[in-house]
Amino acid sequence: MAAAAAPGRHGAALAAHRRHAALRAARSAGIWGLLVLGTMLAAVLVPGFATATNLGNVVTQSAALGLVALGQTFVIAAGLIDLSVGQLLGLTVVLTCALSDGRGELLLPVALGVLALGAVVGSLHAWLVNKLAIEPLILTFGSLSILQGAIFSYTDRSVGRAPEALRWIANERLLGWPVAGALLVLTALGAHLLLRRTRFGLRLLATGDDGESARRAGVPVARIRWGAFVLSALGAVAGGLLVAGRLGTGYPNAGQGFELDAIVAAVLGGTSLAGGRASIVGTIGAVLLLGVIANVLNLLEVSAFVQTLAKGAIVVAAIIATRAPRSQVRPGAAHAPVADA
Amino acid sequence: MRNHPSRRTFVGGSLAFAFGGSSLLAPLAAHAQVDRAAQKKQMAEPVDTAKFKKAGPYTIGVAAGYMSNSWVVFCLQHVRWEASLHKDVKDVIVTDAAFNPGKQVADIEDLIAKNVSMIIYWPVDEKAIQPALEKAIAKGIPTINAGGGFTYSPGTTSNAFIDQYVLGEMVAQHFMTDLGGKGKVFAMLPIAGTTAAVDQLAALNDVLKKHPGVELLSAEHGDWNRAKAKQISENLLQRYPKIDGVYSPAGQMSMGVVEAFEEAGRAKSLVMSPGDEYNGWMKWVVKNKKGGAVTFPTRAGQEATKLGLKILAGQPVPRGLVIPSQYIAPAEAAKYAEMDKPDDWWASNLPAGFKPKA
Amino acid sequence: MASRLATQALRELVSRWAILGALALLYLAAAILSPDAFLEPAYVGNVLRQAAPVAIAAIGTTLVMILGGVDLSIGAIISLSAVFCAVQMGGDAANVGPALAATLLLAAGLGAVNGMLNIASPGSSFILTLGSALAFYGLTQLYSGGTARGIVAPGFREFFNQRLGDVLPVLALAMLLIAAAMELVLRTTRFGRQIYLIGSNREAARLAGLPVGGVTFACYVISGLFAGLGGIAVLARSGVSSTFTGRGFEFDALAAIVLGGTVFSGGRGTIVGTVAGTLVLFIAFNLVNILGFNYNLQLVLKGAIIILASAAYAWLGRER
Repeated sequence: MAAAAAPGRHGAALAAHRRHAALRAARSAGIWGLLVLGTMLAAVLVPGFATATNLGNVVTQSAALGLVALGQTFVIAAGLIDLSVGQLLGLTVVLTCALSDGRGELLLPVALGVLALGAVVGSLHAWLVNKLAIEPLILTFGSLSILQGAIFSYTDRSVGRAPEALRWIANERLLGWPVAGALLVLTALGAHLLLRRTRFGLRLLATGDDGESARRAGVPVARIRWGAFVLSALGAVAGGLLVAGRLGTGYPNAGQGFELDAIVAAVLGGTSLAGGRASIVGTIGAVLLLGVIANVLNLLEVSAFVQTLAKGAIVVAAIIATRAPRSQVRPGAAHAPVADA
Repeated sequence: MRNHPSRRTFVGGSLAFAFGGSSLLAPLAAHAQVDRAAQKKQMAEPVDTAKFKKAGPYTIGVAAGYMSNSWVVFCLQHVRWEASLHKDVKDVIVTDAAFNPGKQVADIEDLIAKNVSMIIYWPVDEKAIQPALEKAIAKGIPTINAGGGFTYSPGTTSNAFIDQYVLGEMVAQHFMTDLGGKGKVFAMLPIAGTTAAVDQLAALNDVLKKHPGVELLSAEHGDWNRAKAKQISENLLQRYPKIDGVYSPAGQMSMGVVEAFEEAGRAKSLVMSPGDEYNGWMKWVVKNKKGGAVTFPTRAGQEATKLGLKILAGQPVPRGLVIPSQYIAPAEAAKYAEMDKPDDWWASNLPAGFKPKA
Repeated sequence: MASRLATQALRELVSRWAILGALALLYLAAAILSPDAFLEPAYVGNVLRQAAPVAIAAIGTTLVMILGGVDLSIGAIISLSAVFCAVQMGGDAANVGPALAATLLLAAGLGAVNGMLNIASPGSSFILTLGSALAFYGLTQLYSGGTARGIVAPGFREFFNQRLGDVLPVLALAMLLIAAAMELVLRTTRFGRQIYLIGSNREAARLAGLPVGGVTFACYVISGLFAGLGGIAVLARSGVSSTFTGRGFEFDALAAIVLGGTVFSGGRGTIVGTVAGTLVLFIAFNLVNILGFNYNLQLVLKGAIIILASAAYAWLGRER
């Protein structure tokens, strides 16, 4: 690989890599530790929490966000960000229900179609970042607005109907296990393998860590960014399919807020907004933790207003508590955008 | 020297995506029609309450689609008040979906998990929550739609509602009289797709058929949001040089409309349709001596609670209980307006302990 | 070599003032497409008034962004300020002074919270202010109980909406004055220079002995304070608070700031640019309307403008 690195520096880099891996393991252990602790506390203190029905509900309710957050993990790890996923999810919900209109035989072609659409959107994002060096934050904020405008120009009220099969996947259980949850676990497994065990994943982390160095080391940075944006979009579309099944109808505003929740989940789970560090396991843990918190607050009849306040406070506390060691931010790193979180 | 891609292709591409995409796929949903005769029969249908009958103590679950709206805040207070009058009601649990239909589905599931005795709700999107409501009914929990419209579907046991068509018709008829039967107008309606929006527009169109001198320029959706109604009105004022009147049955939105006209200097000759008893609107009516109101009683919450308790007792109830609206002429507005209370307020019989904070 | 430096200097100059050029071009196009509106002074005054709340809030946040951070909580601070101010006024004109003072104090306090958080965890302003935004929104909802509490003092809205010389609404004049004042602060005071220096290279600034923590804290307080002003401006414009005031403002402000030439990495930006950026957005919106397009196309246009502008700036800033 990088024959230019001096042996001493190479050894130091290896040690740093191992340290990072240990830190990452600790952080995702941290979020899962919080999750297990919280779940046990809730089981004891909150009546109605520890039933199979309720726990299954939490998993089902969290599945869509989980898929979106998985996609977001990749794009943040690559040193980018994607704010458009919420509206892309909304567009998916509307198109899926409107085009299939409840007819089961159309489910597969429509699903493939929206996934293809997601890939196109992701590709457009990557092209604009690669060719025109636009900041991903501002680019995806612009495309969020375009997508939202497109959705509402098409319809201002619910349209269509989700096919029965999709509703089954999104809501029902098989042998007591929520199907949507199983889907999430399988996807997470694939994502983890992709990130940690493939050349693409390693290159993605290298790109996010330091785009210039990665490029000099021969990593095809432009192609990696393309992969990251496409994965982010696919996560949004997959989440959208689940939400379509959940709602049963194409509600245009269905995606509102998903992008921020996905980012929060990724960051809480140990993915650094500066890029180069990610944890699939941590993301899933954070998504479930957020779901448990919302469920517990509902069961405790805490007012929704307080729930918003609590969520904000938790996010802030978690960030302060898991303060990352000061990473070197290169000034003018124009091709590794969003160096500052 | 790098190749610079043509910016024109990009602009053209993205606009084409937006425009082309939206025109290629014309919305498939047909606009809902209102068949009044059929609806009246459905409202009168008796509910089979035997399967819901159970003994107390009861817990009332309220699945609010949103709470950031003064009407629903007052409606909820009516629920709490009615609940406090019954010894066998031990608790009222409220969830707020904050305009997120996915969350309202989750909220209903959580209420079921908490074993509530009944669920009172007002929807963000009526269709999206039906499957969740059906789950509640399968568990023997009756569901009651409180407020804006009549839902006739398996997920809704009964409705305590204001007949939006009758309300819209009353508003439109007084509006025609005040207009003198001719002029250019636009309509300011609630959230698109809700029964309220559909019925109010249908009533307006039916009344307009008898008044060919009045032209409807546009039907807009202000979502019961004063600021949004104001912004939409500002847009329309720019687009249309002549607007004689506005059909706006919701007083909250009427406030946004009149402010836009006032700031554009075009309010003097404006004819406003009656609004409802929203306090801000009533204050305006008292000051300007025009407009009037057709009421949209917040005690729908109280009636919904009473309906629910009757169902739990196994007593007969209809599918739809109408809470009648009444017309308030501008001259009588002073009796209903509370000048020292905020705009975001509704006249009611709530005792002091249950009124929201001012 | 000299000519290369000259081209670079020229491109920097163009980049700095490109937004003003864009604003002029857009206004020209709008005047041609719809002369009854855009050549009418009263109408232009109206656009300025529409833009005022966003512009005022964005002015404060520009400082944070020149510093290299971001403040996503201004929408929530605007909401809380508007409701709080209305409640404090309680419909009595005598209360206006104390109500405004209390509101600004509250807003500055919220900004101070942001400042402290950012000192505790520098480099995470995106997610931190996202979290504080949620918390502040929750506070707003708790305080308001779901209804738009409070009564604006009589005459308050009328004062700010009256037009000077039948053309310029007082609110718009206020925005222009505030913008001018802040631009002066940035250009001529030591504080302003420090902001640019820290934004360009935080480490070097710290090593050079600049009070990085103090300046950061001050910028967030100012951002909060101006969001409070923005909330008061919203109140002045509409005469009543609502439970939705301010939602989405942070992103409109972000768009305006970036359009105006401020970059995320910090070290560059002007108030003039921010105000110009806001005006570009609002003229574009109004144009969509007047030309009779679907209201939702405004969103598409907003997105397209943002992307195009960013591409243009990136192209101008790129080294060959």
